[in-house]
Amino acid sequence: MGSKEDSIIEIKGVYKTFNGVVNAIEDISIAIRQNEIVGVVGENGAGKSTLMKVLVGVFPPDKGELYCKGEKVLFPKNPKEAARRGISIVYQEKGVIPCLKVYQFLFLGHEDKYEKMSNLNLGKMRKYAREILEEFHVNCDVDSFMYELPLSVQKMVEIAKAILNVRLEHGDNNITSVIILDEPTAPLTIEERKKLFSDILRMKKNVSFIFVSHIIPEVMEFTDRIHVLRDGRLVANFDLTKSKITEEDLFKEIVGKESSEHICKHEIKSNINEKIALSAMNLTKNGCYYDISFDLHKGECIGIFGTAGSGKSEIINTIAGVINYDSGTLMIKGRKVKAKELPYARLKRGVGYFSGEIEKNLFLNWPVTKNISILNIEKILSKFISTMNFKAEKQLAKKIIDRLRIKTDVNADCYSLSGGTKQKISVGKWLEKSPDILLLENPTIGIDVGARNDIYETILDMNKSGISIILVSDDPEEYYILCNKIFFLKEGRIQKVLSPEKFKEVMST
Amino acid sequence: MGRTSLFSGWLRKSISTVMPIIVVIVVIGVFQLVNPTFLSYQGIITLIYSSAYFLVAACGLTFVIMMGSFDFSVISLLKLSAIICVLYIDKIGFMVIPIALLICVGFGFVNGLLFAKFKVPSFMVTLGISIVVEGIALYLSKGFLNIMYNKAFMAISTTFIAGLPSILYWAIGTWSICTFIAIRMPFGRRTYAIGGNSIAAGLSGINIERQRIYVFMLSGFLSGLAGILYMAQMGGGSTNIGVNMTIPLFASVVAGGTALTGGVGGPHRTLLGVIIITWIQAGLLMIGMGLNMQFVVIGLIAIVMTIATTDRRRTKIIK
Repeated sequence: MGSKEDSIIEIKGVYKTFNGVVNAIEDISIAIRQNEIVGVVGENGAGKSTLMKVLVGVFPPDKGELYCKGEKVLFPKNPKEAARRGISIVYQEKGVIPCLKVYQFLFLGHEDKYEKMSNLNLGKMRKYAREILEEFHVNCDVDSFMYELPLSVQKMVEIAKAILNVRLEHGDNNITSVIILDEPTAPLTIEERKKLFSDILRMKKNVSFIFVSHIIPEVMEFTDRIHVLRDGRLVANFDLTKSKITEEDLFKEIVGKESSEHICKHEIKSNINEKIALSAMNLTKNGCYYDISFDLHKGECIGIFGTAGSGKSEIINTIAGVINYDSGTLMIKGRKVKAKELPYARLKRGVGYFSGEIEKNLFLNWPVTKNISILNIEKILSKFISTMNFKAEKQLAKKIIDRLRIKTDVNADCYSLSGGTKQKISVGKWLEKSPDILLLENPTIGIDVGARNDIYETILDMNKSGISIILVSDDPEEYYILCNKIFFLKEGRIQKVLSPEKFKEVMST
Repeated sequence: MGRTSLFSGWLRKSISTVMPIIVVIVVIGVFQLVNPTFLSYQGIITLIYSSAYFLVAACGLTFVIMMGSFDFSVISLLKLSAIICVLYIDKIGFMVIPIALLICVGFGFVNGLLFAKFKVPSFMVTLGISIVVEGIALYLSKGFLNIMYNKAFMAISTTFIAGLPSILYWAIGTWSICTFIAIRMPFGRRTYAIGGNSIAAGLSGINIERQRIYVFMLSGFLSGLAGILYMAQMGGGSTNIGVNMTIPLFASVVAGGTALTGGVGGPHRTLLGVIIITWIQAGLLMIGMGLNMQFVVIGLIAIVMTIATTDRRRTKIIK
């Protein structure tokens, strides 16, 4: 076969479909060579995770070939087999068991190799753990608990564990392993990221990495080659060692052309009221964001833009009442609100929070009707001892479904619906509720272009009818489509305020 | 092929509904065969007496389980309420009823407060409170057997109306109101919502803390009511009231089809669960099986019914 001599792992023509076509990957071929870091980038739902899960044996692929050092082998059936092929993964989150000690965590799953008279040889484990941590310059005590370590060190220990996993599975310390890092920086602060990157670069001489991310600057900074996934297909490959590319090139490939031109920008809005719906003054939450001040006028839509981890998500969650703030003032419709107020109380003040994560929005075992009425329960109550009127409930759901052109039965259980339909139903219930202020966090995460445009239209309609909106998203396009004003957030502080046109210019240069 | 898969799909979807009905029919059939007096008039009276107060307590627990929480204090509160009634009926007359109910609601409030506000797992809170309550009951009764001499009080449960004891009407009434609350009132909808997805429930404008406290208070109230009905039916008791009843109580809720993970089921289903568990117990007693073997059978049935009625397709973590 024509696989290159020096590639340690190579996949060819990998296909994976789930029942339906959700998040499928199609015809993907990637090679990983010795001592390199390969970036795999794409939007949420582009198929990155699916591909990685195929590599570590969580999902079997429908079709495709796997080569280890040029030899054709079967795809792994479970993570242990993957480790035998030299592949191991560090998951985005929940990979750490906090109450284990470092050396216990490192050898988790391999205790049998350190058995002595059906007892664990702890001394030997500790010694080897110390050696391996030294090798990778991880600075921590093997006897400290995982939760005591800072997050970046935890990540490093996880990476060390992944490498150790491959080595122990082979019983050979010189084996080259391929370690998949799935969005490794998501929970880290800026400083911690820098530290993690320098550590990873140092490990490069022993190990190859696949670096999965949607944060462009990170990927640009320290990968050797980049593969771009979009809608389950490999759309572009860049070799950074050979040619220079700009962030803009990469961004264009990730987002793709077709998603940008469907929605034309809404007319210049004249209906922005002088009335202030919500204002923040020097809002601070230590470790997340500092001195955030802005005014949200009635009928206005503002965006808070920044990279993942810049504090944008925390700001919107603070306003929603999911988390509290440390200092500053938050005024909603001219009234000062307490820092510790639960989401229901904020909703009573007219602040609704809509997140694209289905789990935060829908009751999946409920039919569409109940999902829509739960937020609008006062609209379906009979006058007599406030019982729920099921007929009114059904009519309410029908109204929303017709308005948003959702093709589904109102009595269908939500978990059986497609991602786009679920999202539309979530938007629909907020449309019916029509709060004074709507907070949007990644409103179109993981859904296809068509559904995305429908949702944008609905949001713009709501905006036109006088609802003020605050948007936080990982997709810069969204800010341009929806916002009147965009706040640039960096390391938890507002850097500048831009108009949407200016924002587009900044993003494309 | 098409038809069978359609049928199996329907069966899988509605197994938690169909299963309890089948089991009830099987239980009645088997006991009737073994013991022809099972469904005689006297037999039916026995069955009513063994299940009515149990249904009242189980309805309260159902709300808690629907919400995804646990309440292990139901049986202790039942006992406390019963003992308060028997001890103080002679001194303060029928005022014992509101007092007993108030105390039980109070303990329910404490349960809810510790769970909702102080974030102690409901499992632990209610187990702790149940021991506190047991202690108070023991202290009040001093461990003696107390006999209820007040005939008017006994009449609450034992007056015969249309040939059946009044405790049946109390139980059916309570059950109907609970079912109505669960299905037709926003209170019930909110309870299901918290059990189904507490994050989404919070973001949908539900005051989760308050709702949790209310549900535990409701459970406390119904435990107290069950205790009163129990004392009026039994006419006396000591601290051994309700020994080994907690697990059958949970089993009856789960057997009806209310999953321990919350969000599904409801008091309407608990009726069948209660019938299964208590009638098996009563049936075994009628054919003369000893108490020890009864526990073995009930324990096993509790597990089997949980296996049969739980929809495990989308359950990720089981604790």
